[in-house]
Amino acid sequence: MDSPAISTEQLTRTFGQLVAVQDVNLRVAPGQFFGFLGPNGAGKSTTIKMLTGLLAPTAGRIEILGLDLAAQPVEVKRQIGVVPEGMALFGRLTGAEYLNFVGRMYGLDRETASKRAAELLDFMQLAAQPKTLVTDYSHGMQKKLALAAAVIHGPKILFLDEPFEGVDAIASGTLKAMLQRMISRGATIFLTSHVLEIIERLCSHVAIIHHGRLVAQGSLEDLRAGVEAQSPASSADETPLLAPRPGEKLTLEEIFLHIVGGARIADQELSWLG
Amino acid sequence: MAGMNSPGSPGPPPGAAGQFAAIARIRWRIFVNSLRTMRGRMEMVSRIFVGLWFGLGGLGGAVALGFASGYFIRRGHAEWIAFLLWPVFLFWQMFPIVATAFTETFDSSNLLRFPLSYRSYFIVRLVYGSLDPATAVGTLWLLGTFIGVTVAAPRLWFAAAVVLLAFGLANVLLARMIFAWLERWLAQRRTREIMGIVFFLLIISVQFIGPVSARLQHHAHPEMTQFGQTVVPFERVLPPGLAAASLAEFARGNILPGLAALALVGVYAASFFFFFHLRVAAQFRGESLSETSAAPARSRAEKLPVRAGWDVPLVSGGTAAIFQKELLYLTRSGPMIFTLLMPLVILLIFRMTPGRSGGAGGDFMNGAPDFAFPVGAAYALLMLTNLIYNNFGADAGGVQFWFVAPAYLRDVVRAKNLVHVTVLAAELVLVWIAVAFLYRPPVLAYTVATLAGVLFAAPLNLALGNVLSIFSPKKLDFGTFGRQRAANTTAFAALLVQAAIFGVIALAFVLGRYFHDLWITTAALLVLAVAAFACYALVLRRIDALALTRRETLISELSRA
Repeated sequence: MDSPAISTEQLTRTFGQLVAVQDVNLRVAPGQFFGFLGPNGAGKSTTIKMLTGLLAPTAGRIEILGLDLAAQPVEVKRQIGVVPEGMALFGRLTGAEYLNFVGRMYGLDRETASKRAAELLDFMQLAAQPKTLVTDYSHGMQKKLALAAAVIHGPKILFLDEPFEGVDAIASGTLKAMLQRMISRGATIFLTSHVLEIIERLCSHVAIIHHGRLVAQGSLEDLRAGVEAQSPASSADETPLLAPRPGEKLTLEEIFLHIVGGARIADQELSWLG
Repeated sequence: MAGMNSPGSPGPPPGAAGQFAAIARIRWRIFVNSLRTMRGRMEMVSRIFVGLWFGLGGLGGAVALGFASGYFIRRGHAEWIAFLLWPVFLFWQMFPIVATAFTETFDSSNLLRFPLSYRSYFIVRLVYGSLDPATAVGTLWLLGTFIGVTVAAPRLWFAAAVVLLAFGLANVLLARMIFAWLERWLAQRRTREIMGIVFFLLIISVQFIGPVSARLQHHAHPEMTQFGQTVVPFERVLPPGLAAASLAEFARGNILPGLAALALVGVYAASFFFFFHLRVAAQFRGESLSETSAAPARSRAEKLPVRAGWDVPLVSGGTAAIFQKELLYLTRSGPMIFTLLMPLVILLIFRMTPGRSGGAGGDFMNGAPDFAFPVGAAYALLMLTNLIYNNFGADAGGVQFWFVAPAYLRDVVRAKNLVHVTVLAAELVLVWIAVAFLYRPPVLAYTVATLAGVLFAAPLNLALGNVLSIFSPKKLDFGTFGRQRAANTTAFAALLVQAAIFGVIALAFVLGRYFHDLWITTAALLVLAVAAFACYALVLRRIDALALTRRETLISELSRA
């Protein structure tokens, strides 16, 4: 069996008294489209920041493509692409200048960087405004540019933190097609998103983090089977949300709500709300 | 639950007093919460120092204005109080614009999502916007004037109170009006940069007032006398002139003319109120100043080719890319370019400032023109302080890139420093040419000694600047005038460091002059330069470790909206 593309051992991060991520053991195989889920404040962003070098773990170990991130950060970063939460753009460059800059920072020569920048701008439909500064781009355009920058060097692993947030349906379709093409060529994609439908449609494997702990990990089918196996054992008054409709499978949303206990919160009533 | 409304009920209409209290409370909590971090506490200490400085300036000015206004009243020249009210007026209006970095502007447009009435919103904009050093100092100065007038002529206390209150109100409203309209013009990048250039030219013009007026004192200028005679009638119909005229009429017992002048001050205040209201009302209605839709789109057929990045000799591709990025940032910032040209402006100002002897062609450096190049070089270094001591500031959220890119931060910092050194070198060449043109070509010994001084000062500044850039970052907006300042803590630390460095350099020059051999200065500074380079190399070697421990603070501080 191949060594995992991403693996963590007892990954932990604390902020003062708060334990944001605790003893997380992740394993993502090469070529997987991996979705990383969790409720707000569960530790998703903290984990992806640690995996990409934006945040130091308090304890534990991260290996990317068999390399220790703490010991060989530059080697690791050369082989990954990242779209972080804040997109990490330089606002006072044009899109072309930014992509050129990123390409060269990843070691591409001048000609290759400019050639790929032109192709990516065209692919992302950003080429029509060559003189516009990034700061004047719309949010969706900035997201597309950030994604273009993350792939310009042909990374083996792509980390995407909410890549579809604020992106219109047309652009979203383009991005998804590009990501699928990367997967078919052997790249690994690690994706976080609040939109469970996107994860369900794109990802073959998912992990769910809750209160800083990894509470589920595996293929979608494995998770579904696990939840369905638990459901009959539940008492009659707890199961209505989880019982699969005849001929239908449980959706990722239902699986997710079952695992993180969201159904109970949804049941609570705010009597004063109209 | 007790006290609950029925489902769907919006609740009782919110009271304005409760809303004001909530806004005041939230501002207080923001302040208190900012003290949780060491950086917040350091900023607080810096603010206290700045506050003390303003307080002293305000009190000193108030005492001076009190004595001066009392003197004018006793001498029967109450109208001369206009000479006191004009500086107050100009300070009140100009200072907030020039020194926006000192003022914490409260973005009250965020409040529009709450059910605030227009009246409440207007009051919030007026009151919270006025809580700035200019209003505090201006009020203190008017209080000093009031006390001076009242002590000199107690019967005038009521008239002085009303006139100065109206004048103060006009100032507050005008300042708010100017800021509200500036906000409108600064909301879009292009107009923002044009305004930045206009402000800069305005500041330079103000710098030239002293030298020009000092020069004019030594010559008979009938055209200036004529200009003065033309200007004075206009001065009398503007708020400071009117307020002084009103006081003068009341002092002479002419109640009606006094009231008329006071009424005109009131008309001004009402006009400022009206124009301020126009802006606030537009915001209240939900005016959108978005500029993203304004970008012209080209058809796919006419898109421009992507040019390859710069090829910088002797450096790696990554360093060349950072070098290009940093220089593009600088050249796209009108305010920054003008800031970097300031050393030349300063030399010109020095050239135009007459010396004590007041000779026709003599300037105050005439006695020691050899020092023009060292002074210009020192100023060039000072102008770079904001860049050097906050070298991630302009990256804003882009700072994250340095931590996900396959590069050591020391390489990034070294590339940024390479840009600083390139700019400094270019500035030194320009300063040398300017000195040669304005004075005479700097002699070799002074040129070499100055360059030795720069070799000592630059690495030390870069080393300390790199450390402070990581420990006390502040997001900068290169497109907005007045937002290129580092954090208060950094500014104080930089000031102390510069004072020490320039003190040492000055001492080396004094030694050279004492022994009539400036090569001693050069030798001493070169020895110090070696130590400075060692310090720089040491800091650079530790910068990755430093940055890794501070990366979360660095990213969150620079990524915040």
